[in-house]
Amino acid sequence: MIELRQLTKRYGDVTAVDGLSFDVRPGVVTGFLGPNGAGKTTTMRVMLGLDAPTSGTATVGGRRYADLPFPLTEVGALLDPHAVHPRRRAFDHLLFLAQSNGIGRGRIEEVLGLAGLADVAGRRPGEFSLGMKQRLGIATALLGDPPVVIFDEPVNGLDPEGIVWIRTLMRGLAAEGRTVLVSSHLMSEMALTADHLLVIGRGRLIADVGFEAFMRSRPSRGVLVRTPDAPELAVRLADAGAAVRQDGDGALVVTGMASAEIGKVAMVHGVVLHELTPHRVSLEEAYLDLTRDSVEFGQAAHFAHARESVRTGRSAGRGEPARTRDGVDA
Amino acid sequence: MTAGAAGDGRTGGGPGTATPPRSAARDGHPNGTGSSVMGVVRSEWTKFRSIRATVLLIAGALAVSGFYSLLFSTAAARDYAAATAADRAAFDPAVPAFRGLFLVQLLVSAVGVLTVTSEYASGTMRPSTTAVPRRGRLLAGKSVVAALVLLPSGTVIALVSFLVSQAVLAAQDTPSMALSDAGVPGAIAGAGLFLTLIGLYGVALGFLLRRTAGAVSLGSFLLLTPGMASLFPEGLARWMVKYWPDAAGAQIFAIHPQAEGLAPVAGLGVLVATVTALLWAALAVFRGRDV
Repeated sequence: MIELRQLTKRYGDVTAVDGLSFDVRPGVVTGFLGPNGAGKTTTMRVMLGLDAPTSGTATVGGRRYADLPFPLTEVGALLDPHAVHPRRRAFDHLLFLAQSNGIGRGRIEEVLGLAGLADVAGRRPGEFSLGMKQRLGIATALLGDPPVVIFDEPVNGLDPEGIVWIRTLMRGLAAEGRTVLVSSHLMSEMALTADHLLVIGRGRLIADVGFEAFMRSRPSRGVLVRTPDAPELAVRLADAGAAVRQDGDGALVVTGMASAEIGKVAMVHGVVLHELTPHRVSLEEAYLDLTRDSVEFGQAAHFAHARESVRTGRSAGRGEPARTRDGVDA
Repeated sequence: MTAGAAGDGRTGGGPGTATPPRSAARDGHPNGTGSSVMGVVRSEWTKFRSIRATVLLIAGALAVSGFYSLLFSTAAARDYAAATAADRAAFDPAVPAFRGLFLVQLLVSAVGVLTVTSEYASGTMRPSTTAVPRRGRLLAGKSVVAALVLLPSGTVIALVSFLVSQAVLAAQDTPSMALSDAGVPGAIAGAGLFLTLIGLYGVALGFLLRRTAGAVSLGSFLLLTPGMASLFPEGLARWMVKYWPDAAGAQIFAIHPQAEGLAPVAGLGVLVATVTALLWAALAVFRGRDV
């Protein structure tokens, strides 16, 4: 369990983390999400005692990181896979960390095996690919067999095999009852791993919500209907009270009527249906929507295009986006 | 020692073995208050020996020591051969014995610097401080390992310097000293101590400046400064030769201490006080700074 209370971190005039409060609970994978520069890494650095908070607290199991007697056995972290000496053998890298926390050599062999690095233990990370360094970083994080693990952008630069491996590993760790916090700036990655989401922007908490609840809270964008008899069905649905418009490629987008109802109308009028798909705002769109106001100024232009496409595709009268935990969980 | 054994007992549980997360308790560990000092020292020793640069630098210091000793004593023997009877009477074979250490100390301080700056340069200071969040312990562990390495190797460096110089002098029919002569063993031990302190000076600079280039060049500049004393006004020059920390500390390995310098123990005291102050400053900065 990781607890943040009113955590603030300023670097000179820049407020990287601004009054952040949340809990990261055991047994689930918690995705820590936000645009680049939102303060994810800073938050993790404070959790790990690397940076001192300007105000507020970050505790693991009720204690500040610096007060943990054997921190590697309490919290494992992968922050930067390149933080290894290029000429120190992988085994020695793990050895010096293990020795400082009273962890036995047997465990080093174990985590090397677990990370698929047993054959390269005697090699120097300078010769490693990014994927191998990432694996060494994971081995480092798991060295102390910690009940809490923190991964910062663990899939960055990995090949598909590596990505699947890390996903499976994180889900496995959570299933064992560990607290798993994983940051990403990619919503799609979270869709495949996270049970719970913490979304931050400009150092502030935007959403603290279960993944399912988050998805349900997204507004419907209508139902996509494909039929060889589009004009006929469009008229029938309009008569039944739905709003219908033509999609670019000949399909119909129906709002104001559930898909079951649409199917019924089609059957009654003998219209053949090829497709009937409830259309939700996509994950990425929902995320962009949520973090729209909190994207760092420098990235605003980059996001403007994506934002525009979200806006144009959206139906009117949607609900307010989830702003706080209360707003979504309630 | 027991730390490793305690760790071995808990190697069974890992991801994939479905072991529930353990509590923080570490039964049987000798030090309940945190990562044991011994554990940190062993960790730092592993870091030290697993990087070739620092090990090579010490080997280099040994080679340089022997080489400069050869040059200085050859020059001294040449001067002696050309000297007048009066000058010959004043010849002190102890003078070329450790003259090379003035240069060797630069390499030794670089060893101290590198134990710290290699961590900043490679980024391992982050995993290092997450493993040992008590910064004082980390700094102490580094200092202890640097001292444990440099005390014996510094003594060997001084011994080689002495033996080479006296062998060269003897071979050229110039007065020379034996290892058993009065004051010689003490001077060699003193030189080992001096080089150890210079290494710790490097450790402190490494923490203060974090960059290898900056710490090595500033460190070397400050160590070489008393060698430039003759360029300064006389009063200042006298003060520098007497009180500048490495010049003062060098009195501890002078077989025949200079009359204008501090007494050996007082000189060493100046160096110890300086290095201690720098280490305290390093600790304060290291504690207060984000990694």
